[in-house]
Amino acid sequence: MLNQHSHDKTSGVAVSTDAQQFQVSAKNPKRVEKVAALTFFVSLVAFAGFGAAFWQNANNEMLGGTLGVGFLGFGAAMVIWGKYLTPRGPFEEERALMETTREQHDELVADFVVRGRVAFGRRGFLGAMLAASGAVFGIVALFPLVRSLGPLPKKSFYHTKWKRGSYVSTVDGRRLKAADLLPGSLATVFPENDLGGALSQTVLIRVQDGGDIVTMPGRESWGPEGYVAYSKVCTHAGCPVGLYEQLTKQLLCPCHQSLFEVTKGAIPIFGPAPRPLPQLPLYVDSAGYLRAQAGYDEPIGPGFWERGGTT
Amino acid sequence: MMRRSSPPISLAAAVLVVGIIGIGALGAGATTHSVVGKSHSPSARKTAAKTSQPVPPIPSIGQTLYDENCSSCHGLGAGQTSLAPSLLGRGAATVDLWVSSGWMPLAVPTAQPSRGPDQFTRAQTIAIANYVASLKPGGFSIPSGDMTGASVSAGQNLFSENCAGCHTITGSGDALSGQLNAPSLHGLNPTMITEAIITAPGNMPRFYPGALTAAQVRDVVAYVSKDIGHPDNVGGIGLGGNGPVAEGFIGLFIGVGACLLFALWVGDRSEDEESAEDALKEAHA
Amino acid sequence: MIDNLFTWFDNRLAISRSGRHLLNKIFPDHWSFMIGEIALYSFIVLLATGVFLTLYFVPSGQDVVYHGIYAPFDGQTMSAAFKSTLDLSFSVRGGLLMRQMHHWSANIFVGSIVVHMLRVFFTGGFRRPRELNWFIGTTLMILAIVNGFLGYSIPDDLVSGTGIRIAYSILESIPFVGSYLATLLFGGAFPGNGLIIPRFYILHVLIVPLVILGLLGAHLGLLFKQKHTQFKGNGAREDNVVGAPMWPNFMIKTTGFLFLTTAVSVLLGAFVQINPIWLYGPYIPFHVSYAVQPDWYMGWLDGALRVMPSWELHLPGHMIPNAFFPSVLLPGITFNIMMAWPWIEAAFTHDNVEHHILDRPSERPVRTAIGASVLAFYFVLFGASATDVLANYLSVSLNVVLLSFRVLCVVVPLVVYPVTYKICTEMSHTKGAGKRKQYNIIVRGEDGGYSAVPAEEYVGYQREVLEPIDVDSVDLAGVMSAPEPTSVDGVYQIPRDYR
Repeated sequence: MLNQHSHDKTSGVAVSTDAQQFQVSAKNPKRVEKVAALTFFVSLVAFAGFGAAFWQNANNEMLGGTLGVGFLGFGAAMVIWGKYLTPRGPFEEERALMETTREQHDELVADFVVRGRVAFGRRGFLGAMLAASGAVFGIVALFPLVRSLGPLPKKSFYHTKWKRGSYVSTVDGRRLKAADLLPGSLATVFPENDLGGALSQTVLIRVQDGGDIVTMPGRESWGPEGYVAYSKVCTHAGCPVGLYEQLTKQLLCPCHQSLFEVTKGAIPIFGPAPRPLPQLPLYVDSAGYLRAQAGYDEPIGPGFWERGGTT
Repeated sequence: MMRRSSPPISLAAAVLVVGIIGIGALGAGATTHSVVGKSHSPSARKTAAKTSQPVPPIPSIGQTLYDENCSSCHGLGAGQTSLAPSLLGRGAATVDLWVSSGWMPLAVPTAQPSRGPDQFTRAQTIAIANYVASLKPGGFSIPSGDMTGASVSAGQNLFSENCAGCHTITGSGDALSGQLNAPSLHGLNPTMITEAIITAPGNMPRFYPGALTAAQVRDVVAYVSKDIGHPDNVGGIGLGGNGPVAEGFIGLFIGVGACLLFALWVGDRSEDEESAEDALKEAHA
Repeated sequence: MIDNLFTWFDNRLAISRSGRHLLNKIFPDHWSFMIGEIALYSFIVLLATGVFLTLYFVPSGQDVVYHGIYAPFDGQTMSAAFKSTLDLSFSVRGGLLMRQMHHWSANIFVGSIVVHMLRVFFTGGFRRPRELNWFIGTTLMILAIVNGFLGYSIPDDLVSGTGIRIAYSILESIPFVGSYLATLLFGGAFPGNGLIIPRFYILHVLIVPLVILGLLGAHLGLLFKQKHTQFKGNGAREDNVVGAPMWPNFMIKTTGFLFLTTAVSVLLGAFVQINPIWLYGPYIPFHVSYAVQPDWYMGWLDGALRVMPSWELHLPGHMIPNAFFPSVLLPGITFNIMMAWPWIEAAFTHDNVEHHILDRPSERPVRTAIGASVLAFYFVLFGASATDVLANYLSVSLNVVLLSFRVLCVVVPLVVYPVTYKICTEMSHTKGAGKRKQYNIIVRGEDGGYSAVPAEEYVGYQREVLEPIDVDSVDLAGVMSAPEPTSVDGVYQIPRDYR
């Protein structure tokens, strides 16, 4: 078997191993060998250096530099070997087209149909029962995965922890008084029972020294003593709107640069945000503390399908 | 530095021309930047833990420098003019910040203030600031920048909550609406950082007093001057602290690029057209 | 000893014939066919470095107090995931290198997949019989992008945490099922029940990599069965493959290439910092940083979110929120058209025959121009994700930058199409355009006239290209001089002494 001549399928002639295609592609193989050997040696030293660097708990650049030079050298030497010290070729082989003959195709179909008919022929009712059971399984198999992952949204998107009388507090629990902040101030505030809450986060801004800030008709009492408060959750994609421009009295959302007019109910005047930030109605109680008249009058944050057509 | 006393008005008149030429030699910006701010009510003045620098023995140094360099826009009395806002009652800290950051003096009144080296020596800057503050009480005096007892850890948390939204979490600064920007926080000393927080320059909101306590201001100053100013780039080249944008460019052009260059070495190039035409003929045959 | 070992396997698996077939397999040699290998090898780097990271990373959102060596966080409360990432970066020997190698090779992985996809697209390698492989490939690309997002989100730092918040809003924005999908995945209204980090983790290290490995196997298997495509030239035809054999050429070169691509990741991880989460701090839902962009392969989504005008669709009692259009509808359309492209092109060209010879891009000006203008569109969107950074560095108004990008989104693709088309038609009419340059020597003839004579390039190897020879047709008579093979119970012994 091994002594037989193989036949060249394209030309019918056996090719000798003396052919030019079998020789190495390097003009000077000895020199190329030396270069490859040297490159391997460099990588050897580098790998050893990595070992030493690791042993010594060296810094990131030393660790990575030695390891990287090692890989570089090893890879380069392998490529030199594989490119210049291998048969230069080119070689070719036959490519079978991705087609079968009509006969082969028909034989497959015939086998499939003939034996299949025995099992499946005129057993439609059985097949329908299989499909029905499989369908029910397919549906209920999703139940453990889908239903148990998390709760239904229900009304969780509609309310925050702000309610009537909530004290306006910083994240470390300090209740704020109206006299605490000077005009131009910005603070991130929460209701006392939800300090640090992701949905109840609110920006408190003292726009001016005193007087009521009326941002929209119907909100005459919402901005006492120069204060306004808006939900910090952007109505575009939910980022905290933490950038207040004191002179221009605008809130800029850092994520996609929506710009909200603080004195006009935080309506968006630039950028992709589609709706104003919900405003928290404030009042100052008899002790001078800032408190909420009520929670937000609409769902905070980005929109969702069930939210309805609020403008 | 010693100067003879002379009547301020005649001296100012004599050097006004020199001052204008001197200011004209400075660089100019592009568009209008409103520097209008509100003067603080005296009731807001809280000394907290800040102490004033000692006032230079001859007050007229500050006045002289002010008259030469600032009065052309701000007026000799530092009140509201048609070119510039009032500096009365703004406090020495405000003036010190604007001068030592290089924002002031402006070459032309409509130029955009830009960060640069202080145009004066430290003593001169302090002199100007104290002179302006002496014209009307109000605002803060120049803080000492003392950070004893400050916690960088508390400062990091406060910085992340209050400052990162405009200045970015690495303090590299970024653009605000219009042509304004929140400047980079690199290369600032504790005094300047403190002054910025307590005087709320430009579009920067007011964080003190109220939103931050005095101890919290010190914490933030400590964090900004130590870790924002000298970030721990232990992983290598820091790429400016601009995050994934710069990393993406490096990854694509240097990372994938280097691999493509290796592929060009390892692989072959295409053959010439004559062989291509022959191959086509054979295929159609 | 080796032949004993081989005989042992051969006697149990009968691998001689298929083994010979494998050894003789021919790989077309063009350098652009190696781009897929860049992706494959960076995936191997990801697996190796990823295993290391899993030995130290704690995938938990539980709060812990940090008392490690990085002073700015001393005493702060943070998630266990963030703390373990800090420990990996500062306290585990080699941990920072592994983290950075992992992240750099992820960038190279996705980048090379995109370049590979472009190569296949512009050369028409997706035509019959390779439509299925194109479909698998685009799925792999989507999975790579998703896995990258999951991977850089699990350290729970401020920058990636903001991205998770945006992902919640994007899920929420899907009509009908959005609010359910969001609360199911996160376990409630944002931030959920705290399980999002462990869920992202297991998706990132197990579920998605398993799917990627499976599809990768199918991708390579199809390539194996259908054989690689090739460019015209040097005897290449539709019914043959011309190139280098698997053994020894391709095996050695590809091993070398594996080490070279690994070296790129290692050197980047050594010298260029990436994702320095200690500068970002832990994610806190009411903190945010400016100049926050996702990793570059999601940049086009961020840019789309920014340039989208503030439109929302209001229906009776319901709405389709603004974020749906740029972040769900746009990628949906993008990937669907991408996946369907082989059939879309076939519908227009009515070309349903088998192709194993690749086009040169300039030969197909319509396809190339469409590809270039679509690529330009996504590149503009990617640029739009950096509106704030650009406005800052160029000292231009932020508003002007955004409005410019809205205009560029439309104008740039419209300009790129005719320009590319023209370049292609000009190239295909110019002899020798885009080909290797020939070196010429100018010689002067006896009559004083000048002429150009092709010069022999000096290269370190034999440049002259020879005729391809059939790899199966080698005359082994002079090579093997073994005695007649012996057979014991039908099992053939390979002779010991052979030349």
